[in-house]
Amino acid sequence: MAANSFKAFFYHRFDTWLKRRVPSRSHHQLSRQNIFIMPTKFGFAYLLFVFLLFLLATNYQNNIIMLMSYLLASFFISVMMHSFYNFSGLGFQSTAKHSGFAKQTINVPVTIIATKQHFDLTLSFAKQPKQPKQSKQSKQQQQKIYLEQCHAGNTEVVLPYIAKQRGTVNIGRIKIASEYSFGLFVSWAVLDFSHQITVYPQPKKINANQYRLAGQDSQNANSTNYANQSAGLDDFSELKNYVLGESRARIAWKQFARGQGRYSKHYQSQQGSLPWLKLSEMPSANLESQLSYLCYLVLEYSHSEQRFGLDLTVNGHSGASDVDKKIAPDVGFLHQSACLTALANFNQWVRES
Amino acid sequence: MSNNIPQTESFNLPKNSAWLLWGCQLVNISSLAAELSTWMLAILALCLCWQALLLSRQKTSNVSPNVGSAIKLHTDAVRMSPFILMLLAISGCVAIAVSAQSFGVLIAMVHLLTFAYALKAFEIKKRKDFYQHSLLGVFLLACALIFKQDLGFSLFILLLLVINLTLIHQAFAKRNSLFNASKTVVILLLQSSLLAITLFVVFPRLSPFWQVPMANSAKTGLSDVVSPGDIANLALSSELAFRANFKGASIPAYSTLYWRAMTLENYDGRKWTRVNNNAQGQHNTKAKQQGFNPTTSGTAISYQVIAQPSFQPWLFALSVATTTDPKLVLKQDYTIQSTTIVNQLKHYQIKSYPDAPLALSLSQQSRQRNLAIKPGSNPKLEQLAVDLKAKHQSSLALSQAVLTTFREQKYYYTLQAPMLINNSLDQFYFDTKAGFCVHYASSFTYLMRAAGVPARVVTGYLGGEYNDESNDASSEDNSSQGGHLSIYQYDAHAWSEIWLEGIGWYRVDPTAAVDPERVSQGWSSALLEQQSELNSDFISLYRIKQLAWLNTLRLKLDAINYQWTRWVLGYSAKQQYDLLKRWFGQSMPWKTAAIIAMALMLAMAFFTLFYWLSGAKNSKHKVSPAQAVYNQCLTALAKKGFTKERHQTTQQFSLVINEQLPHLSADFTELTSVFECLHYQQYSEQEQLALMAQLAKKVRDVTKALNSVSTMANDTKNISSMINNKKYKNPQQ
Repeated sequence: MAANSFKAFFYHRFDTWLKRRVPSRSHHQLSRQNIFIMPTKFGFAYLLFVFLLFLLATNYQNNIIMLMSYLLASFFISVMMHSFYNFSGLGFQSTAKHSGFAKQTINVPVTIIATKQHFDLTLSFAKQPKQPKQSKQSKQQQQKIYLEQCHAGNTEVVLPYIAKQRGTVNIGRIKIASEYSFGLFVSWAVLDFSHQITVYPQPKKINANQYRLAGQDSQNANSTNYANQSAGLDDFSELKNYVLGESRARIAWKQFARGQGRYSKHYQSQQGSLPWLKLSEMPSANLESQLSYLCYLVLEYSHSEQRFGLDLTVNGHSGASDVDKKIAPDVGFLHQSACLTALANFNQWVRES
Repeated sequence: MSNNIPQTESFNLPKNSAWLLWGCQLVNISSLAAELSTWMLAILALCLCWQALLLSRQKTSNVSPNVGSAIKLHTDAVRMSPFILMLLAISGCVAIAVSAQSFGVLIAMVHLLTFAYALKAFEIKKRKDFYQHSLLGVFLLACALIFKQDLGFSLFILLLLVINLTLIHQAFAKRNSLFNASKTVVILLLQSSLLAITLFVVFPRLSPFWQVPMANSAKTGLSDVVSPGDIANLALSSELAFRANFKGASIPAYSTLYWRAMTLENYDGRKWTRVNNNAQGQHNTKAKQQGFNPTTSGTAISYQVIAQPSFQPWLFALSVATTTDPKLVLKQDYTIQSTTIVNQLKHYQIKSYPDAPLALSLSQQSRQRNLAIKPGSNPKLEQLAVDLKAKHQSSLALSQAVLTTFREQKYYYTLQAPMLINNSLDQFYFDTKAGFCVHYASSFTYLMRAAGVPARVVTGYLGGEYNDESNDASSEDNSSQGGHLSIYQYDAHAWSEIWLEGIGWYRVDPTAAVDPERVSQGWSSALLEQQSELNSDFISLYRIKQLAWLNTLRLKLDAINYQWTRWVLGYSAKQQYDLLKRWFGQSMPWKTAAIIAMALMLAMAFFTLFYWLSGAKNSKHKVSPAQAVYNQCLTALAKKGFTKERHQTTQQFSLVINEQLPHLSADFTELTSVFECLHYQQYSEQEQLALMAQLAKKVRDVTKALNSVSTMANDTKNISSMINNKKYKNPQQ
């Protein structure tokens, strides 16, 4: 326990120091300021080996072996410099906000800006000192990205991140390491792009029957609405000329393939009935699976370009933050992401506690 | 470009590196080949062949159009079933243990190391194994240096070191070419050399921490048992025996350069042997403890000798030699020995008094020993001795008479002496009349003893090759002649000493009577020709000496080697102390530390400078012409307040321009697309030129349009942020 708390204390101190030393930015340039360099295990073994050579030389009073041991010792220092210069000068850039679904790979793109060739780069998410338990689990899942070689110019790499739970996650710093030249030294930098990932619930498929049933059970009054609405999911009405900026999902590819030009498909939902997706009507006792169903429905509705609203109020529990939990019916990409974000962040404080 | 590798799980080298690893093993082992026994070499060869086989087999399996393995570029490291490996390892270790007795500890260890090195190559599964293997390889190189340290070999080892380091480097820059990798290594080594040399010069030398097993290779050079015909074998070897440096003092005439190694006083009728040390020791233990102190007179010549390892204790000096070196022992017979076996280069300082007499008084025991003959072993010679003794009064005249016989009768000096039955001196003296120095020295000594004159055989070297190529400017006095003498094994010689009342031991060289050239200048051309016939070396010394330029080259190389031996191999704690004292006065630890720190700083500064320079060079080269033109356009736009943010792609920036400068939009969109084509796609040279022209034209148009109408954007940032939002992808796509 004592060791743990000491560790935590150390981590904390280190973190605050790091925050001052390497503050968060969207663009980082590796330099003296943010590079750490240490001999690796092999580096220490090498030093021991050089000392062994020195002993050999001294015992045999052999000047050439002596010279060799000195040469290898100075080589160690040269390699340190070489390692450092291979690493420094690299630029990294990444946008801060990303989103994705729980238990799916969320790609965090990082652009590497190099002015010369660099070798042997490993990118990974730095271990988060704040949640040692979680990081242990995620460590196995979070993969490292290894670049043998990075040419001058911009290189885009994608760091896969797999989140276990929905919510807004600070994924912390990105660790970039290199053992280039001889494996004697590892140079690394932990860069903070203030990456924040909005993790949506994992979409779970729900079929219309199941949904309807649930609807009947809970709120008879609205059941007809859902029936109408679910019938209208793919209710195609007409083709219109494609207007630049319309969603690609709406392009009538069949017509386009026939060479008849670009048309966009238009769907019609039944007028008058405002489709509300309600959390309380999801057929599960578990809040998380309810949210997963909702997530699926949100995606489906958006895909078919239907108007819908999101209602996350729980029966009788509509508290002060009621406004946040209702999203008025709308259509479009922004609406979709707003709904998904709401799902991601729903009652997060409850879950965390 | 990017691929995920399970870094910890397995370690794979790319194909060319795997072969480099193989070659690396081959050369590392070859550096020690001279010390390894034949059967071990056979096993190692087998291991290497096996590896090569496995490697080449992997090549074929990679070529096969297997769906999965087609992408897989890396070969699995060479693997062998662990059972066979273990069997091989155990049997090898047993074999080494069994023969360790005959090897000696050091050679046995070398065997073990090499064997482990070869086997480890089968077991490289993880990165750790690779590191271990590499370090073991470098250690083998260091071990090879225990046995041999001349300049050529040291450079060879340096080359191997580069190869070894290149191999390690390859593991980190897999796609780098071998040439580039080795270039990096060489540059790094050069950069480290400054500090290394400083450390070498300044870092304190320590005395050995503990006793280590020394190499006891085959003895070379003179043996302490000599029978007629023995030295003729040595005469075929052109190996270096020792070097002598007279430090600018004039070198004595060739014919006086009799380097005494040992005296042979016992004769059993067949061979000459040294007097047993113990017998002598019993008699004068006191004198031995104090050390023999020869009486000296006349002028002295001082010189330094650097003896090559002979694995025997004797050392070489001109007569009456004195030394202050505590590691040398002066013997009663005026020879010098090392306290230990000479298994490394041996530097020693000698002061010789050529005119001083050797042993003016002769002890009874010594006289008896030097008169002893085996009666009846050579009856004819004994008879002759009696006759000669009757004819000549003085011992000197008697000896002269024998030499006259050698000179005037048909005696031949030859490397190919006829075989003598039972080493009979009678047969040589009266029948065959052809032989090498030992024949003449033995029969002369025998005759003298039979005639009642104390006589003994002395072996050593005669002469030496003067090399003035090493006449370096750094020596303190430039005016005097520099250079050194190199004495080779073929200079080995045997002569006689007779003891004369009032003179002491007097050197008589019967060879001088037979072949005066041998004594005055070295080998006669007839002898050289003989040697080149007998010698199996491809380029014999004789042929080299025929060609002037080649000989000069040979002498130059010898001179370089000598300097290497003298300054690098011979750089001892004492020399270091003297040098530091000369440079800094009182030698102090903090001064040494300061120098090392300075060298370290300097080395790092050089390094930084080097990288800055190369970095500056790189960045200049990296901007392509298309990029340059595009940048030109960007700066023009920037002047008007439209800067391309770093994170914006060219496309995004183009959109910004479209919105804010509508009159430019057509031109700029086209410009952007042309630039993108040039920047990201491969074109032939002509196409490139055409596109470049187009790009340049567009840039001109844009800048012109820009200058004519200047419209300020109201809010650049707002729009660019909007574009960022548009980039936000639909998760379903």
